Amino acid sequence: MIALEQVPTKIAGRFSETTIDDEVVVMNLDSGDFFSLAGTARASWELIDGSRDTAAIIAALAGQYAASAEEISAEVRQFLDELEAAGLVRTA
Amino acid sequence: MTPPRTPAQAMALMARETRARHGTVPHELDGIAVAPGFRLVAEGQFLLRCDSGFGYHYVPGEGVTVERPVGGDLDEEALWLNGSVYAAVACLNGFYPVHASAIAWQGRVHAFTGPTGEGKSTLVAGLGQRGLPMFCDDTLLLDLSAPDRIIALPGHKRLKLTEQALALTGATADGAVGADTGKSYAIPPAGDVREPLPLASLVFLEEGPQPKWTRLLGAERFARLADDHYTQGLYHDAQRPDRAAQFQLRARLATQVGMAVLARPRSAAGFAGSLELAEAQVREFVE
Repeated sequence: MIALEQVPTKIAGRFSETTIDDEVVVMNLDSGDFFSLAGTARASWELIDGSRDTAAIIAALAGQYAASAEEISAEVRQFLDELEAAGLVRTA
Repeated sequence: MTPPRTPAQAMALMARETRARHGTVPHELDGIAVAPGFRLVAEGQFLLRCDSGFGYHYVPGEGVTVERPVGGDLDEEALWLNGSVYAAVACLNGFYPVHASAIAWQGRVHAFTGPTGEGKSTLVAGLGQRGLPMFCDDTLLLDLSAPDRIIALPGHKRLKLTEQALALTGATADGAVGADTGKSYAIPPAGDVREPLPLASLVFLEEGPQPKWTRLLGAERFARLADDHYTQGLYHDAQRPDRAAQFQLRARLATQVGMAVLARPRSAAGFAGSLELAEAQVREFVE
């Protein structure tokens, strides 16, 4: 699982995205697979800017959703792992 | 990327490019042989050779050459010309085809899409009986050249209905479609609209236990836009959009057009119920 100090970065050129109503649709341009991101998944995606580390993303989400970082940490890290597995994000 | 066109320019372009004259057509394009029963898009041109002997060759700026075999059926000639050939000319000129029949109401187009036999034409004929004029049957052409609007081009095909659909809608038959299609031309009960108009909504028809209208939201709008009609193949052959371009196209439709699903059982009662729903939704449509 992604470590708290690791920085996830969106892989430019590997995806296209669009916002439809309250959801963000992201397509992997290599595979043609697309993903619908809503709620916390959308918020997480939008916080990935290549400079925030995982801990900062979790802290920002905790603030947005009035939750503790401990409560949401595992879920957010799992989601970042899924984005990496989907080829949309790399971690450093 | 197609430069922005006005609706009038789009209409003039299609009228000019689909002009047909009789002559002989080649048997190959770009060095690739095209056997009877096959079609090819190459070098910006379109070549279709039918099993029956008809041939069609489109060259941009020159229009369509039609080769008619001895004793060729004139109805068949028109069907090919208004079907695959018209769609290919449109695609080569940057228009986007949708497998849909549509009506027009208060200056906007509401289109109904679904697989062949799902009842697109029947619904449009039924809505005609309720005073909503037809906009197109079977193929809806969209002009996406201007980024801020999606313009639909009025239909070039006559309304075609099965005997069952004629009985269901009460529409008036106007001659058989070819020799063995089992369909008749029908007169649109509320007439038809002949001017390009903005596309307001796209409604997906499907079978369901009872008539039900469901507005589509979010990613479902994007997911629903997978169309396997043959005209999509023509578009891809003509424009060769990469995945990013295909994504942008679907994203535009998903964000700029209202979308819904109309489910109904395949019965006379189901048809009546779906007509009521569709009419109410179209007349009350709000962005």
